[in-house]
Amino acid sequence: MELSDADLLARVLVDGDQHAFGELVRRHQSPVRGLLRQLTRTDVELADDLAQETFIRAYKNIASFRGEAKFSTWLYRIAYNCFREHARKRTELVGIDEEQWESQPDPSTADPALRQDLMSALAQLPLHERTAVVLCCQNGLSHDEAARVLDIPLGTVKTNVLRGREKLKKMLAAWTK
Amino acid sequence: MTMNDPLDELLDARLRDETAYIDDDGFTARVMRELPVRPRSFQLQRAIIILAAAIVSVVVAYFASGEATFVREGFMRLSALPAVEMLALVFIYGLTTMVGGAWAALARTRDPLG
Repeated sequence: MELSDADLLARVLVDGDQHAFGELVRRHQSPVRGLLRQLTRTDVELADDLAQETFIRAYKNIASFRGEAKFSTWLYRIAYNCFREHARKRTELVGIDEEQWESQPDPSTADPALRQDLMSALAQLPLHERTAVVLCCQNGLSHDEAARVLDIPLGTVKTNVLRGREKLKKMLAAWTK
Repeated sequence: MTMNDPLDELLDARLRDETAYIDDDGFTARVMRELPVRPRSFQLQRAIIILAAAIVSVVVAYFASGEATFVREGFMRLSALPAVEMLALVFIYGLTTMVGGAWAALARTRDPLG
C-alpha cells in the first residue's frame, strides 16, 4: 500500500527519515518544476535550481508545516517565494525592476507562428496573472489555495485569473477560426 | 466567465494538456545529495536525557525525604483501610489508568501534523 503524504511527513518529522522525504520529492517534483518553469518563462535550468532550493527549504522547515493546507500547496508557496527572492536579487544585481523583467519579450515568441502556442501566450502575461492562471487553471488549485500560495487576497486571485484568461483568449482567438 | 464559450473550453483543455509530467531525470537524487544531515539518534538522545533526569530526581527525592519514610507510612495506612474503601480506591485508580490509556491511544491516531 502506498503511503500518504501525511504518513511520509510523519516519518520525516519523527524519525528524520530522509528516504521518506525522497519519496515526497519524487511525488511533487513535476508540478513544482512545472510551476517554476512557467514563472521563469521556460528557463529550465533556473527553474530546476529554484525547485531544488524549494525542496531543501521544505526539508529544513518541515517542522513548521502544520497540515492546515495540502503539502503541495505549502510547496508551491515556498517555490513562489524562492522565485520572488531570485527576482529581487536579480533586480539588485542587474538593476532592472521586476516589471521590466516581466515585460521583456520572450525570445520564443519572436516567431509569429509560435504566438498561437499557449506556452508563448502564457509567457506574455504579467507575472501576477501568469502565476494565478498557472496555479488555478493548470495545476488545479482552488482560488483559496492560490491565495494562500501567493499570500494575496482571494478577490485579487480571482481578478488575476479572470484577467489572465481574458488576455489568453484574445491572444489565442485564432484557435477557433 | 461563460462556461459554454468554445474558446474557454479550448483554453481549459489546452491548459490541462500543458500540465505534462516532467520526468525526474535525476532531480530527486540531486536534491537528496544537497539535504543537510540531521542527527539520526535525536529520539534516542531525548529518551536517554529524560530517563537520566528521572533517575537523578528519584535519588535526590529519596534522600531529601529522609529515605522515603513517608512512602512506608503511606503503604501502612493503605493496608489498614477497610475493604470497601480499598475496593473504591482500586476502582478509581483502574478507571483513571484506562481513561489515560485510551486518550493516549486516540492521540496517536490523530494527524501528527495537525
